[in-house]
Amino acid sequence: MASEQVKIYTVGQVTTLIKTTLENGLPGRLTVRGEISDWRPHSSGHCYFSLKDEGAVLPCVMWGSNFKKVKFKPENGLAVFATGNVDVYEPQGKYQFYVDRMEPAGVGALQLAFEQLVKRLAAQGLFDEAHKKPLPKYPRRIGVLTSESGAAIDDIKKSIFDRWPCVLCLYPVPVQGEGAAEKIASAIKDVNRRNDKLKLDILIVGRGGGSLEDLWAFNEEVLARAIYDSKIPIISAVGHEIDTTIADLVADARASTPTKAGVVAVPDAREVLEKLSSAQSRLTGDIESVIELAEQRLQTVCASAAFRNPILQVHNRQQQLDEMGSNLEELIVDMLTDARERLNGYYEQVVRLEPHRLIGRKMVEVNELTSRANAAVSVLLGRAGLLLTAQENRLAGLNPRTVLKRGYSITTLKQTGMVLKNASQVQMGDTLVTELAENLIESKVIKK
Amino acid sequence: MAKEEIKGDVGKLTFEQAIKELTGIVGKIEQGEIALGDSLQQYEKGMALIKQCRKILQDAEKRIEKIAAEQDGGKQ
Repeated sequence: MASEQVKIYTVGQVTTLIKTTLENGLPGRLTVRGEISDWRPHSSGHCYFSLKDEGAVLPCVMWGSNFKKVKFKPENGLAVFATGNVDVYEPQGKYQFYVDRMEPAGVGALQLAFEQLVKRLAAQGLFDEAHKKPLPKYPRRIGVLTSESGAAIDDIKKSIFDRWPCVLCLYPVPVQGEGAAEKIASAIKDVNRRNDKLKLDILIVGRGGGSLEDLWAFNEEVLARAIYDSKIPIISAVGHEIDTTIADLVADARASTPTKAGVVAVPDAREVLEKLSSAQSRLTGDIESVIELAEQRLQTVCASAAFRNPILQVHNRQQQLDEMGSNLEELIVDMLTDARERLNGYYEQVVRLEPHRLIGRKMVEVNELTSRANAAVSVLLGRAGLLLTAQENRLAGLNPRTVLKRGYSITTLKQTGMVLKNASQVQMGDTLVTELAENLIESKVIKK
Repeated sequence: MAKEEIKGDVGKLTFEQAIKELTGIVGKIEQGEIALGDSLQQYEKGMALIKQCRKILQDAEKRIEKIAAEQDGGKQ
């Protein structure tokens, strides 16, 4: 058998050999240019994909911890520079490229990320005009979210106080670097939550100019969403005139720089005072002309006939009154005469009826009815008397005394008063009482 | 009495409310929509509103306050 000359390797040994060969033969770190394909982000945060060009495919892995630092969103077909190392994945017997950094090959990574996020958030309606809240015209308390140490706070302060008296509430937040966007976003939420006490009318979120990296916090989604969700209207005031950030797009109003914040946020007190003065003079002018008009009307009325000769009006009324008075008198006399005539008519009618005779006839009728009624009642009473006597006699027969009258007697024991029905109820020598129809007898028991 | 009431009411208004009311009064008087008696009352009220607006502006401070973050992470 040839087996004795040939060295037999285990799978593990071969794999280790390949691994060592790869490690020795390849640079430790290399940057590969290729097009992303088969992009498969996993819920664990790790990303699996391939880099390819015309003739070859390189399987790639990017761990979640590294992927978090990638600002843009990788997608199939995107040309990238990927940096990392090649190694063997033993469980599947394949080599793969472990990517730890990735950048777009065309535009800069941040620019691409910015464009992607603008597209995505626009599609979700975060920049819609309809969602933008109107700014209050005359704010009293304005919240400012910016760095305490930057120039922006002084610019904002000056630009507002030059125009309008109010209270600025500074909420210091970092405006660049890792975690800045999250901190500004949570500050916006915090202020919103406490606004029943803070009573802020407007929030200004901003910082001074800088590189795209410096301004990056204002391009992050977490901040965009916090601005979108804010109940307090937000003015973004970031960077220079030429810089547009996502915060600018989503905010309710935009100041091109912190120095312009005042113009956007507050009215000019001088203009307001001028308007007040003009309102005052208009009001005065108006009221004067109203009074003048009223005076004119009054004069017109005074010039009318009634006011020119008032006594005539009085006399006219008096005459009318007199006429009405005499009419009234005549009317009453007529009414009285009429009533008297009618009364006489009634009297004669009554006399013609001869009422005394009518009464006599009725009296005779009444007397007759009375004696008939009396007779009927006597008959009824007699009948009732007979009935009564019969019942009385029946009742008398039932009386025990009646029985005694027929010779019967009732015997009782004197001691107890008990009625005796049996000889056993008494002892020798007991005293007995016998009740007869008339009177009582007392006796003693001598035999039983 | 009526005058005192006007003053009391106006004193409580915010700048925005006062301006709004003032605009309404000026408009009504200009268009002659109200009776003479009412217009005098409205005029007085308008003047009181103007005074109130100026007072609010004069009283308003230019002041900076610092807001500290909620310590407990926002749980009130």
